[in-house]
Amino acid sequence: MLAGSGPALAVNWLKMQGTEPPGVSAQSQVWGFIQPEYQATTGTKLKAGSWRGQNTAANMTRPDFRSESGFNIIRARIGVRGTGFPLDSNVNYFLLAEFGNNGITRQGGGSVKLTDASITLNHIKGMRVRIGQFKIPGSEEGLQAIHVLDYINFTSGANQLLLERFFDGDGSTGKTSADDINKPNGPVGAFRDVGIQLFDWFYTENWEHSYAIMVGNGNGITRGDNDGKRELYLYWASELLLPGATPFPSAAHLAPPVWSADHHGPRGARYHTWKLFGWYQDGKRTLIKENAGEYDRTRYGIGTTLRRGKVRAAAEYFRADGMIFSGTDGGAVPGAESNAGGEFADVNVMTNGKANSAYLDFGYLLHPKLELDIRYDVLNRNTNISEEERIYQTLTLGVQYFFNKMSRVLFNYAFRDARAPNAATDADVNQILESMDDRISAQLLVIF
Amino acid sequence: MRFERHRTFTFLGLLISLLILLVISFAASAEVGQKLFAEKKIVLQISDRDPLKQALVLNVANNLLQHYGPDQIEVEIVAFASGLRLLFKDNVNSDRIQSLTDNGVQFSACANTLRSMSRKLGETPALNPHAVMVSAGVLRIVELIDQGYVLVKP
Repeated sequence: MLAGSGPALAVNWLKMQGTEPPGVSAQSQVWGFIQPEYQATTGTKLKAGSWRGQNTAANMTRPDFRSESGFNIIRARIGVRGTGFPLDSNVNYFLLAEFGNNGITRQGGGSVKLTDASITLNHIKGMRVRIGQFKIPGSEEGLQAIHVLDYINFTSGANQLLLERFFDGDGSTGKTSADDINKPNGPVGAFRDVGIQLFDWFYTENWEHSYAIMVGNGNGITRGDNDGKRELYLYWASELLLPGATPFPSAAHLAPPVWSADHHGPRGARYHTWKLFGWYQDGKRTLIKENAGEYDRTRYGIGTTLRRGKVRAAAEYFRADGMIFSGTDGGAVPGAESNAGGEFADVNVMTNGKANSAYLDFGYLLHPKLELDIRYDVLNRNTNISEEERIYQTLTLGVQYFFNKMSRVLFNYAFRDARAPNAATDADVNQILESMDDRISAQLLVIF
Repeated sequence: MRFERHRTFTFLGLLISLLILLVISFAASAEVGQKLFAEKKIVLQISDRDPLKQALVLNVANNLLQHYGPDQIEVEIVAFASGLRLLFKDNVNSDRIQSLTDNGVQFSACANTLRSMSRKLGETPALNPHAVMVSAGVLRIVELIDQGYVLVKP
């Protein structure tokens, strides 16, 4: 994929990820990126509960939960995109595979997974059609290209409410064998689905408006549907193009260029705009083991992004209804046996839970090669179930250094706090939550 | 006296004829869009599919105009073979083509290539409205060279 060059451009992810610039696209263009990282906590053990003294799941490194620190190739993706037949810009394709060690590749067998495989048809003015497996139109954190994310880890809300794990049960019954625990039955959703999307964008004055309507399986990636029920995704964004600012050279150069066939706007993933967006997704999930049945899963949110000169800012608020990921029994590593023996830590899902989350994010380009970032995010989980309600707050400080247009290094320090607001401060649940450490992370990114 | 008037009339007639010839020669050499006082004449070739080449040829044209001034240089971009994609109507560079055209750059499109592409595509691709059709891109380049243009292939 070409490095971003020229003026930084609007963050129209629908355009960038689903289509190819007409008249200039290659028949096939190979691209990819590698993200090795290091993450560490102090490894505080669980302070209370049936797994007291054992590893705290929140303090263990992803995706294996075996160590409180370590190096990992979190993502290594290679793909190809283009027009297939260069003379016809109306048919585009996008193919991307994941070779890294993460929730996509660790679950569901095999070590390599297809993350994206789609075809876009651009024949109908006002309604492009994208078919296959690709990113769902939704939250900014999920929809944006992962290699331009300004932080190493997602917000708690995105990680727990939007980065979907799929289960056969809800973890509500105790397990007497590590093999029987409730755990994901396949790869994480990776903010993707298999389906069909109608989308396009148009201009009014200095505004670029985008819409997307998608129908998908709602059953994750690299597999078919499991219940005959479709997922509906709706998305709208309006973006005001701000004139005159010099290019924002932070990760702009790291994003693929975006075409501007409509005589408007710049190219690239970072540009000088103010964007408002809203999204909605609704579907059903089917459990076949404990508490088997069909459950609603709804997510919806609104947000805004601003990029202007050296400053960028973002904020988003979203709500979740149903299928709330609720951590593990006792805060322990999944499958860990309790101290008393005979009980193994399940992963839990509150099928009728509700939650909400928000974040504020700021970045400042101190130097053309150096950006300072700060993000505050909060997740309020299971707000309608008093004993299960949890509040997660995270303040992440970050620094990004850009070696060149195609590579950068990130450093993050996350101050993490969690509590059960309806339990006593010294209750087991709050002591367990207090076991969660701050986290330090470093990541290198190279795009080719 | 009569002889002097005759010489005067002859002189005036010659002068007027000379002026007419001068005007005609200017008119003959001034094709559509040609700049009468251009000091430099450059023909830029774009004949491959690389998108970077498309951007490059437009950049070169722009740089030439900026250096010499739009009235002091004649620039023509001839697109043929895979390079004709530059002149497709939906090409992302159409904004820049418009801007360069406004500054006197001519974009010539090879009819031979267009016919070939039409056969492959099953329909004739729509071209940028500013594209001027020429029978063959290579022939157009040769013609321009004969007229004193310098060929540059970025």
